Amino acid sequence: MLAYLLNLATLVCINAVLAITLNFIMGYAGIFSLAHAVFFGVGAYTAAWFAMHVSASIFLAIPAAMLAAALLSLVLALPALRVRGEYFVAASLGLQVLAVTVFSEWKSFTGGLGGLIGIPPVSLFGHDVTDPVQFLLLALCGLVPVMLITTVLLRTSFGRNLKAIRDSESASYAFGKNVAAIKTLSVAISAALAAIAGALYAFYIGFINVESFMLNTSVLLMAMVIIGGTGTLLGPIVGTLLLMLLPSLFSYMTFLPQTQIGAIQQMAYGLAMVLLMIFRPGGIVGARSRKAV
Amino acid sequence: MLFLQLLINGIQAGALYALIAVGFSLIFGTTRIFHFAHGATFTIAAYVFYHLYAVAHLHWSIAVLASAMAAVLFGLALNRWVYIPIQKHEGSFFTVFVAAFGVSILVENLCGMVFGRSYVSVDTTLSRSVEIAHGLYVSPLSGVAIVIALLFFGGLQVFLMRTHTGMALRALSDNPELVRAYGLSPRRLSMSVFALGSLLAVPAAILSAMGSGLQPSLGEHVMLISLAASIVGGIGSLRGAACAGLVLGLAENLALAYFQPQWSEAVTFIVLFLSIIVRPSGFFGRVIAS
Amino acid sequence: MFKPLNKILHSSLVACALFAAAPAHAGDITIGADFPMSGPNATYGDIFGAGANLAAEHINADHMLDGKLAIQYEDSQALPQQGLIAMTKLVNVAKAPYVMTAFTGVSKAASTVAARTKTVAVNGGGVGPDLAELGPYFWNVIPLINAEIDTMVPYLVKERNFKRFVLIYVDDPLGQAVAKDMPTILSKVGGKMLDSMSIPVTEQQFSGIAAKVRADNPDVIYIASYGAQELQLIKQLRDNGLTQQIASYSALAIPGTLALPQAKGALYTTQHMDWSSADPVTKRFVDDYSKKYNKQPTAYVANYYNAVRLFALLAQDLEKHKQPITGENLLKARKDLKTFDMVGGKMVFNENGTVTMPIQVNEVEDQASKIVYAGK
Repeated sequence: MLAYLLNLATLVCINAVLAITLNFIMGYAGIFSLAHAVFFGVGAYTAAWFAMHVSASIFLAIPAAMLAAALLSLVLALPALRVRGEYFVAASLGLQVLAVTVFSEWKSFTGGLGGLIGIPPVSLFGHDVTDPVQFLLLALCGLVPVMLITTVLLRTSFGRNLKAIRDSESASYAFGKNVAAIKTLSVAISAALAAIAGALYAFYIGFINVESFMLNTSVLLMAMVIIGGTGTLLGPIVGTLLLMLLPSLFSYMTFLPQTQIGAIQQMAYGLAMVLLMIFRPGGIVGARSRKAV
Repeated sequence: MLFLQLLINGIQAGALYALIAVGFSLIFGTTRIFHFAHGATFTIAAYVFYHLYAVAHLHWSIAVLASAMAAVLFGLALNRWVYIPIQKHEGSFFTVFVAAFGVSILVENLCGMVFGRSYVSVDTTLSRSVEIAHGLYVSPLSGVAIVIALLFFGGLQVFLMRTHTGMALRALSDNPELVRAYGLSPRRLSMSVFALGSLLAVPAAILSAMGSGLQPSLGEHVMLISLAASIVGGIGSLRGAACAGLVLGLAENLALAYFQPQWSEAVTFIVLFLSIIVRPSGFFGRVIAS
Repeated sequence: MFKPLNKILHSSLVACALFAAAPAHAGDITIGADFPMSGPNATYGDIFGAGANLAAEHINADHMLDGKLAIQYEDSQALPQQGLIAMTKLVNVAKAPYVMTAFTGVSKAASTVAARTKTVAVNGGGVGPDLAELGPYFWNVIPLINAEIDTMVPYLVKERNFKRFVLIYVDDPLGQAVAKDMPTILSKVGGKMLDSMSIPVTEQQFSGIAAKVRADNPDVIYIASYGAQELQLIKQLRDNGLTQQIASYSALAIPGTLALPQAKGALYTTQHMDWSSADPVTKRFVDDYSKKYNKQPTAYVANYYNAVRLFALLAQDLEKHKQPITGENLLKARKDLKTFDMVGGKMVFNENGTVTMPIQVNEVEDQASKIVYAGK
């Protein structure tokens, strides 16, 4: 039982990092991206490749992953600079689907559809982290700095600039803000931090393939942020906990027919999204109306 | 010869894509609602037709009618009980999108529970190809698809240009505030739009059930195509959505002549992505880029 | 602001406590099943579960084990992350010493847990060659793809005189194995691979592929895909006027194939399973399945029946020697016993956890399939 809870807790930490970084651009910059799983994947593949071919040291693999994701994020920044709203969603959707094809075809780097197995455990100061408790601590060491960095950034003038752009881009221009640079930087930060989650994921499971980085993952992350509450600090964490623990809770309800349990879980998740949007669009943590900061 | 066959295939696929895209574009362009559950409408229409025609063996006209009714009722119910309440709270487009997505997950799983989750198709001789010239194969179904697509577009044009409701819809798409000032109810008009848009998904759904077959997860793929076509064609332009649907169908098939098949799906999204960067307003849409 | 958070934590802790304290009779055993029960591949979960449940029924009716055998199902959604959570739950909460998995991505993710916790993980569906390399605790009760094409290709060339092949495949390890090995086998028996085309996993429109195949003009179209995509492909190939022989591997052994009129005449390999056999294990399986579901079983149903039966045979042996039923002991018992009487005949385990069984070639007919060739 303990190992099961540790497993859930570790995956919650990893997904929370993703939700927090997505909230950073969605809730504060108004950039609604459906391509977040791409950066998750890039971080995972880069860290895995690095660990398998160069070094499994955490101090080398994670920065490599962050760098790769930040560079790739420039591709997403391009449409972010041109369009907003529905159009950007569609562009990010396009990027997500394209990335899946690249992940599936670039066999030398990603292992293609078969994925990469036998990823060596991450090494911290020469010590291999394999014990589940130690890994959970490591995951928390990834989560806490990400939370701190994003919170601090949001409290600085950078954060205020972001919110200004989200609320009115033309006004920000009028005030002389370099909107293009700020948007690009925020996307890069979000991607680089998301890559940390990717690296942790690759080291934790020891196996990654394209199935973990597809559109349904991006949608799940988006749902975590929205249901928890965009533009709030605790929202992404609440959303992550809810969406990750809900399926596990359902699996305990033995009175439901075994073969339909999966469908019922998904329906509950879909229903939650609909009801929340009708009655509490600010999410669980957000204010009742969407005028929250 | 291969090229010509691929061209014909592209037109066949494009006709269906155009039909699907126009329904979505109509709703999105007129009401500005990001109706991501359009794929769910498609799924419902297809499964109702499949169940009544292939399983219950009712006459095809009954199955078609029931399928259309189901689609329209679903669209109206969705608008009335999900989208309108959200808009009352001044929900952003993303709130609507998330709700629509939740609905599509609900519908996908419900259809799976009720109709079964395995791959099914409606067996009909219409889908068998006939060799019309040396090396060129066309199925009667694609002929039907193209004719139906043209009929529906023609009918839609007449409706939008000649009837009062149609003109009100075009006005709504331009300026909702002015429409309200004229004493028309945007809410009532949005009901008409949803009914019409959902109805437009029905022929493509039935033709797909006969041609490529069904699975509950079909709605996702349909939705992606509608979205891509609507954006590439230009929001607010039905002609654009139809043309873009056709172009996407052609691109998907003609790409096979030059690239390996595994990239054919990516072609659609490369087109979408580039189109948003280079010309966000699409072929015929209004200018919206910053 | 913390209220909902508290509520969630509270209720999940209560739920956990309740079920951790659930009573169990001494001797009762639970094994696990990490199957897709929702999502696009849920239909497989139903199929596999039908076979597994039937086996459990028979085992309990025969009192093969000291206590009652139960199967706990967890939903993998056919995705690695969810499959991993499900596997961890089965191993750490249900304390299953033996877990059945399905779908290669899930199997690979689960295999890391299996190796670390010394739990046996068993695959009865996938046939990719990468499934042979997942460690000593990962077993396959289905022969892998190389055995299948080693039988199918010579049969097609020598018995049916089809020499020109076109391959349509999904670019995963299974498809890659076929793309690599089929030309070699063909050249040895006097056939030729004209063209091989790889398709993306999400592709649903195949008229373009059909046009390319028509241009190649082969005798046989071999398909290495699976699930709904494979059926869509077959339907569209036929609809586009292609009349050539279609051949594939065990992925066609699903009810959807038999329900598809365009699949009539297609040939596919499975391990040897003669449904009309008089062998007692097979006969009982076929009779009870047909009575319950009103149709003939398919190979995947039988595979997971066999997977559960394998556990029962090993556990029975362990109980006879008064040894606890753990993954380690199960592995040892399997290596000692090596051969088992299963549905379809004798199953012989190789050292690396794969099985050798004779392969047969089946032909799809109206709502059923018949055996046209029984390999060695």
